[in-house]
Amino acid sequence: MKIEINTKNKDFLVTLFKEYYFKNIGLLSPPIQMHNREFGFMTFDGRVIRHLTFSKIGSLKAYIIQNVPSDIFCSNAYYQFPTFPINEKRWRGADMIFDIDLNDLTLPCANEHTFYICSNCGVVSRDLINLCHECHSTKILKNTIPCFRCINSLKKETKNLIEFLKKDFGIQEQNLEISFSGNTGFHVVVFQNNYLLLDSKSRSDIVGYLMGKNLSPESLGVRNDKRGYRIKIPLSGYSYGWRKRIVQKMKIPEVSNDQLNKFIKKMGGYQSFKNEIDKIAYELGLKIDPQVTTDIHRIFRMVGSLNGKSGLSKIVCNDLDKFDPMNDSCFFEDDRNVDISMNIPLKFSIKGKKYTLDKSISTVPISVAVFLISKRLANIVNSSS
Amino acid sequence: MSIILGKDDLAKYPFLEEAGTYIRESHFDLDDFNRSEFLHIIERATKRIEFALIQGKVFIDLEKYDIELFTFLVSLIMMKYIGEDSAIKKFSLLEAIRVERFLISDLLQEKDLRKKNLIISKIFRELFQLDVELDAKNKNLFKMNISDYLQRATPFNEVEWKLINRAVDNGYVYLDGDETVRLIRYEIYTLMYNRIKNMNITKIPEQIKLHATLVKNKLTPSIKYARRISDLPPCIKKALELLNKSENLPHSARFMLATYMLSIGKSVDEVVLLFQNAPDFNEKITRYQVEHLAGKKGSHTKYTVPSCCKLVNENLCYATIDCKGITNPIQFGRKK
Repeated sequence: MKIEINTKNKDFLVTLFKEYYFKNIGLLSPPIQMHNREFGFMTFDGRVIRHLTFSKIGSLKAYIIQNVPSDIFCSNAYYQFPTFPINEKRWRGADMIFDIDLNDLTLPCANEHTFYICSNCGVVSRDLINLCHECHSTKILKNTIPCFRCINSLKKETKNLIEFLKKDFGIQEQNLEISFSGNTGFHVVVFQNNYLLLDSKSRSDIVGYLMGKNLSPESLGVRNDKRGYRIKIPLSGYSYGWRKRIVQKMKIPEVSNDQLNKFIKKMGGYQSFKNEIDKIAYELGLKIDPQVTTDIHRIFRMVGSLNGKSGLSKIVCNDLDKFDPMNDSCFFEDDRNVDISMNIPLKFSIKGKKYTLDKSISTVPISVAVFLISKRLANIVNSSS
Repeated sequence: MSIILGKDDLAKYPFLEEAGTYIRESHFDLDDFNRSEFLHIIERATKRIEFALIQGKVFIDLEKYDIELFTFLVSLIMMKYIGEDSAIKKFSLLEAIRVERFLISDLLQEKDLRKKNLIISKIFRELFQLDVELDAKNKNLFKMNISDYLQRATPFNEVEWKLINRAVDNGYVYLDGDETVRLIRYEIYTLMYNRIKNMNITKIPEQIKLHATLVKNKLTPSIKYARRISDLPPCIKKALELLNKSENLPHSARFMLATYMLSIGKSVDEVVLLFQNAPDFNEKITRYQVEHLAGKKGSHTKYTVPSCCKLVNENLCYATIDCKGITNPIQFGRKK
């Protein structure tokens, strides 16, 4: 949901976004087969412009500096005719994309830094609301400022994904790109040729695999029957993929008919064994956004572009462990201060500095203002302090 | 030393290039089928077709290679003459299952690894461009790359074919012989179907026509089942329940609900009204989107209801016992 933005805030962000692109345009690198990609933009008025094509990075950069969009997207798909309507584009494959977002991790600390903002009047609440208590609008936007724990959890989940992709799917390091989304997640893109032509249904199966869904006891050689269960060790053994993960987690050292039988009996039979598998699969399964990966026509945020929901850049992470989103993806220079008014009192850190802001007018560096206004948590008062 | 397929192999796999070469080199003429000494071939082909079309069974009898090759050829000509698409499809499927049985047996029982590899090469690689390899440790285990597997396995709805229920490692899926063969059933079926459909015979021998006509007269029209929708599936009920509480449904749930309602015959107006409680309801936008899904706007493609599998992955599935056996919400409550 795109929340309406007032003219003063909009003018402020447009000026700063333009400045960013003017100074950092080199961060936007051309995607592979650029001429086969569809480009899309979101304007600061919330309009989406799609089905555009740029054959050279120079023309894309010129368009961006001239039009200053709030968000820039590029298709994961390769098309023969990128500007045609979706059914006439002639799909020629798509990079496999993954989105790991805070919304899907459901972390216990989420409530501490999640805000609910009325898209009509801009009132901010820390409590979950379906109805604005000021203007009674039901259009409520959820917004989060990830904390240190959130970022670490996101990194951990991203690493788990990379391990799955490398070990199980044979994806090579050079065919992987990990980036910070610019807001509350990480994106992973797989460029490996043998996965490019997979349709949406096949990608959905891969998503199910990664998330640990539909794992059956039968695949571990345990079948339900009238007498309870019977065991037939699979020919392909337990050395690979999910089977390996499950027997390792269940601490069954060497799987034999007898070992497995004893284990299942001890657990209480087939259903208990199934429940345990479901539990482990959920625990070890990845928390990714299934829609992103199964969409083979998606326009996906472009590396080097600003995220309109935060004012932070989507940026490639070469060293995930050391990456600090609130520092490494904030490119605004703090060479001047501006006055903002907060919609809610807030404590947070950006670019290594801690800020405690109450609801009165505060004078803050540019990076802080861009971040808070993009998050709809503050309004610009005076941009020439 | 190079190894070639033996005549016994051609008997089992009469669709291979080598089988065609044998028939061409035998200087056989189609008119020869009108001669009495070939009547047993036509009668054998008739039996093979009746097994498939009337009894719904696979013809498992295996004769000497020359008899098999000619029986196969006559069967295809007879099916071409019968001409009914549903019959050709059924015959092609049962022929595919016949081939499957021979192939499984060869892959499991063949002790000579070079011979095993030759069969893999001839059928999987040359015919269907599918790269199947024998596992280095266990010669009864086969592996293929994940994308090849997915392209063939995703049409199967059984949970056992889901990637998660397979041995997966380093980009490969490991399979038993029968599973490997099962994956190419559709390709063998398509090969048979296309062979019959694309046959161009100017003059079909009278004896073949006569026998084909007799088979055709025995075929009964397929039974059609009347279906009715008795109730809404739980995923749809849940989406409606959330909408009634003015909760913000994700895009995927809205898509599911709208396509489902359109599929059961609701009008665009009725579907638009369903969304009036959505917190961000905008009649103009909703109408445009529903009309788009109904195929009345944009690309004019009518969108179908997402499968149960997709809904599970999107966390939209609330299956109950009544959902047993269905693969799409649209099948819920339908009774024969």
